[in-house]
Amino acid sequence: LAELDLAMTVTTEDANPSFRGPTKGGHRDAQRIFQLILASIWLLDAVLQLQPFMFTRGSNGFSGMLNGVAAGNPDLVFHTVTWNASVVYNHPILTNTLFALIQFVIGFGIAFKRTLRPALALSVVWSLGVWWFGEGAGGVFLGTATPFGGGPGGVLFYALLAVLLWPRKGSDRPFVAARFVGESAAKVIWAATWTLLSVLCVVGSGRQPQGLHDLVAGLDNGQPGWLAHIDRASESFFLAHGSVAAVLLGVVCVLAAFSVYASSTFTRFMIVAVVVTFAVIWIAVQNLGGILAGGATDPNSGPLVILLALTYWPVTADDPSRVGLRAARLVPTVR
Amino acid sequence: MGPPSWLYYLFSVAMFAVAAYAVVLLVLSVTFKDSAGRDVDLAHLFMGLSMGGMFETRWAFWPSWFWEATFGILLVWFVTRSAESIYRFGLHIPHEAVHATMSLAMLLMYWFPMGSSPVSMGMSMSSSSHAMLDPGIGLILAFTFAGSAIFTLASPNKGASHHGTHLLRVPIRVVANGGTENERAGATASPTSAHRSWPGVTNVVANPRLEDLSHVVMCLGMAFMLVLML
Repeated sequence: LAELDLAMTVTTEDANPSFRGPTKGGHRDAQRIFQLILASIWLLDAVLQLQPFMFTRGSNGFSGMLNGVAAGNPDLVFHTVTWNASVVYNHPILTNTLFALIQFVIGFGIAFKRTLRPALALSVVWSLGVWWFGEGAGGVFLGTATPFGGGPGGVLFYALLAVLLWPRKGSDRPFVAARFVGESAAKVIWAATWTLLSVLCVVGSGRQPQGLHDLVAGLDNGQPGWLAHIDRASESFFLAHGSVAAVLLGVVCVLAAFSVYASSTFTRFMIVAVVVTFAVIWIAVQNLGGILAGGATDPNSGPLVILLALTYWPVTADDPSRVGLRAARLVPTVR
Repeated sequence: MGPPSWLYYLFSVAMFAVAAYAVVLLVLSVTFKDSAGRDVDLAHLFMGLSMGGMFETRWAFWPSWFWEATFGILLVWFVTRSAESIYRFGLHIPHEAVHATMSLAMLLMYWFPMGSSPVSMGMSMSSSSHAMLDPGIGLILAFTFAGSAIFTLASPNKGASHHGTHLLRVPIRVVANGGTENERAGATASPTSAHRSWPGVTNVVANPRLEDLSHVVMCLGMAFMLVLML
């Protein structure tokens, strides 16, 4: 039965024919598993793009959503976003169909080994385009890009993950994210990302109780009862302790930033901490990206940050706790 | 201006195509007396017909209670098969679990008809409550089906969406170990039944890639329908 189990799995060789690394012989390819999870999120985004309101003109439609993002931004951002909104307004079906198709292409492209690299490259370009033209640079110039709300833009994490999960033969040690860019570069990327997040926690409206309260209050319309209940608790909490929460999240982000340079035990501890923290934020603050209210095209940053964190889980030789690999024992059989 | 009608039409045609493909596989499986994957074909037939009618209301037929009963039976069947697979092969997620989840999703679509969406009319025959499906459940199911579609396409084990990975691998073990592993693993199918080996049609109609494609299309259709219900 052990042999049978081995035969069932997505092996490193299966997932990457060019790979001839130390995991040869049947170990799961954690990088491939993460790529496929990312592809699944892209596919969900593509389906969300097909929601009826996305094809609709007016303030309740896609173009209206874009115009709302543009308000208050610097001229350059404002004009590019409103230009995009006007194109969408004039050709809602054509543009939205095209946007959905691109996301389908990315999702399915990642699923096939032959198209993996072009799909990841397209996802980087598309993500940066959406961040600028669709999210108004994530509110960075408005001072509203708190990580509580998905700052500096959930879509940026798609691009970051595409780079870190770029296919390359080699070992998953010391962590999956190092496989393409190398250990040193991956650590710098991690430290820079979390340092940026920590800064965004304490600047602009991100540290103001009322701003954080309004962040949640602006999302709770149309949410299911259980989530609306959580929202009310979050709003009250932020009104009372918003500043403290912002500082605490900033401290967690700083500790996370430097954890990759510490012992693997501390790194693991911090990864668990940020996974739990952002899972809570994703539900209680980001409202799962607003998807449940039927007015969103992506799940916001929560799941992407969690996925990013997991790609940095320290992997040691013959480590039975290798994250992703335990999951991989199950995931490939889900068909 | 709302969603383009061709979008629903497209999904409806895709669902009926999956159903038609399932009919062909069922006919061939009866012709060649090979029951492997027949339950999945049957499920795809009913799901395709049902969902085709949901997306394009003019093509909806049969009362809601019939579909609810059908998917209820399929749910029980696949849950039983999942438990059986876990009992035989140890703790894992059997492919039958995905089909059980799909059956559950179909049931939920009938139990919780949508409100204002144009496709809701196709489900207006529902005899059940007018309560709405919790969108959290809808989102989880939609993401599950998106993941199933992606992992199916990426899997090196083609045809696993219909036959699972155990059965696909058992014939290899039969060759390697003279059949004893096969019996111990509890796989009763002959070596040729893992991938359907039907003379003249194997590489055309019963191609494992086509079987997987039909599963992927079904997953996409369900994910879209669930998103419409949010």
